[in-house]
Amino acid sequence: MRKYLFIFKAELMSALQYVANILLHMITYFIVIIIFFYLWNYIYDDPTQLINGYSKTQMIWYVIITEIIWNIVSGRKLCRRICDDVKSGNIAYNMNKPYNYIGYILSSHLGEGIIKSLIYITFGIILGRVFLGAFPTLNVLSIVLVILSLILAVVIDTLFIIFIGLFSLYIEDANPLFWLYSKLILILGTMFPIEFFPEVIQKITTVSPIYVICYGPAKLFVDFNLNNALNIIAFQFIYLAVAFGLCGVLYAKGVKKLNVNGG
Amino acid sequence: MLMAVKNQIKVTLVSVKYALMREMLNKWTFLMNVFFMILNNASFILQWIVIYSLKQDIGGYTFEQVLLLWAFTASTFGISHFFFRKAYSLSDTITYGKLDSYLVQPKNILISAITSEVDASAIGDMLYALIIVLISKLTMWQVLLFMILSICGGVILTALAVILASLSFWLNKSDMIADTGNNMTTHFATYPEGIFNGIVKFLLYTIIPVGFTNYIPVSVMTNFDWKLTLMVIGATAFWVAAAFAIFYKGLRRYSSSNLMIAKI
Repeated sequence: MRKYLFIFKAELMSALQYVANILLHMITYFIVIIIFFYLWNYIYDDPTQLINGYSKTQMIWYVIITEIIWNIVSGRKLCRRICDDVKSGNIAYNMNKPYNYIGYILSSHLGEGIIKSLIYITFGIILGRVFLGAFPTLNVLSIVLVILSLILAVVIDTLFIIFIGLFSLYIEDANPLFWLYSKLILILGTMFPIEFFPEVIQKITTVSPIYVICYGPAKLFVDFNLNNALNIIAFQFIYLAVAFGLCGVLYAKGVKKLNVNGG
Repeated sequence: MLMAVKNQIKVTLVSVKYALMREMLNKWTFLMNVFFMILNNASFILQWIVIYSLKQDIGGYTFEQVLLLWAFTASTFGISHFFFRKAYSLSDTITYGKLDSYLVQPKNILISAITSEVDASAIGDMLYALIIVLISKLTMWQVLLFMILSICGGVILTALAVILASLSFWLNKSDMIADTGNNMTTHFATYPEGIFNGIVKFLLYTIIPVGFTNYIPVSVMTNFDWKLTLMVIGATAFWVAAAFAIFYKGLRRYSSSNLMIAKI
């Protein structure tokens, strides 16, 4: 475990050198929130109106939180990194090191994400306060549980993207699989809470990773309920184990197929 | 002059053809890229079904007009990324001194530099636009208009990418600025114009040219207007002229990094 903590720390220190890049990325985050701000302002006739149980303020806070998760994980970059590792043969240099490749990728990506988390969360909260004025009612316990749920969501999402990236051990380019995964996450989880979808989709989404990656933490933030929190966090731990298991199996089988020419 | 333009187009098409052949070396990956891009774009239909279930009119657009808006987004993005992919990594080309090999070619430097690669998945974008056009039951005249406006939009997006990338002649590591600027256009391009107002709307017709790549084209397709069509063509000419002017002004500051690369 110590070696992964070391990788985590090394990536964290490296990310500190590129804070300006992260700040520039905030412009894209800002634009997405602005678009949703305009969209929900257009859809809601007045601030007291409820649609599927959500007020306008809650809907915009929901997107602020889910977009924070989306940006911290930076799935496209992670998936491309794994695919490039396989395509370029770089993965061979990681295989002969005294660590597990999945643990290495996970800890280095999370290390990079920690600075982003601090910046995105701070900026997101400022943005929400400036545009909406109101802040959801949260006490110390609920804040701790929301943060725990956010951390678990980021780790689970990262693991699922590693899982998708590892498909490049079987097919040359796993990026198209990631596009599909990311769009499912984006549409069924990031843009709308699951209550906005027909019942059939709601049932499927409730047992899918979308529930623990997007809906869970964001729902807790906008409408906290202790029972819900415990349910979501328990479900997140189950998904965490499942995601680890899937990555392990796929890597163990896929790595046998790896054929690196030169280097 | 006309002969030079003809030659340039011929060389560009040959360049694109060989770049496409390189992409098709692995057929399975190529087909997967195209197919999944179509699926990727189609998944957003669900987003709009949900939005239209909440309100019948979004920014003055009907559901069919939103589909048309998406068709323009996909076609302009597809044209720009397929034919001019390298415009989106031109920052790196400039920063790392990789322009040298284009400087010695007896053709237009900018066009040679941005047409040397294609993006296979952009074919998926163009096919997606085609599918929407087919299901929209447009007349032949409307299809022709769609193609003209899409080409204009694709060229404007490319010009914007070139302008943003040209900042690298003056600024270090401006690739992030270029990426942010290009992404900004795509984000706004997929939402109806009517939901925006004030300063945002002003920006969409100036430094973020979504008004000319998407909003006016959708309006022209719904209610044809010669003046608006000519305005799009005029805006295209303006953006292209600006891109060439800024790139060549910056090129005077370019210095090689003595990087040795093989172009096969």
